[in-house]
Amino acid sequence: MSTVIILAPVVMASWPILTAAATAAAVGMGLAIKDSIQEDLAEQVEAPQSVEVELEDSQVTGTLSTDRQIVLSKGDVELRITRDSRGRCKVCATGTGKSKTELKQMADEFTQKLIQSYAYHRTMTELKSKQFQVVNEEVLEDGTVRIQVRRWVD
Amino acid sequence: MAQHEIEIQILPTGEVKIHVKGIKGKGCLEYAKWLTAAIGKVHSRQLTSEYYEPETKTRINLQQELKTNE
Repeated sequence: MSTVIILAPVVMASWPILTAAATAAAVGMGLAIKDSIQEDLAEQVEAPQSVEVELEDSQVTGTLSTDRQIVLSKGDVELRITRDSRGRCKVCATGTGKSKTELKQMADEFTQKLIQSYAYHRTMTELKSKQFQVVNEEVLEDGTVRIQVRRWVD
Repeated sequence: MAQHEIEIQILPTGEVKIHVKGIKGKGCLEYAKWLTAAIGKVHSRQLTSEYYEPETKTRINLQQELKTNE
């Protein structure tokens, strides 16, 4: 018997897990971590253009302040990952010399990478908890991560 | 001892495609249920052609019968 299911990940993560996923996603896009966690938003300099993308199925858990954020940068563009008052995760792209369309594209691309990284970490954690062993792991040309796992049972 | 195997593809969109292989009975659905609870919401689900194939023993018997009749 065999089955195939396709899942849409729901991002339910604490800041440390989200930071790990964001870091992995950032590396893939050539983004640098400008400041991993900042508490004070008041000193942030306003950028001329700004675009926000909200992760629909997300919940940042824990009791941390809503002012916390992860800041990534590439050239003149900054990506800020924040948590809103409802606990949802948001990615905000700001930058000079970029159109809103370009910023939206970058925020969308990063959001997808973030979800993929989160899904990878979550999946691997679950598989290891059930004593599955990784037989093969590869990244395909289109960026898909393919993992084969196996375990022996009585 | 039985071997349980799962192939997972994490697509660039973040979607996770899970192929549970070679597990008899409801076992494969149990794995699917467990991973669904851990990762997210089901987009689609399908039973592969393997599901509709007869079990190995039956197939061998059938092949032997066909050879005998030749």
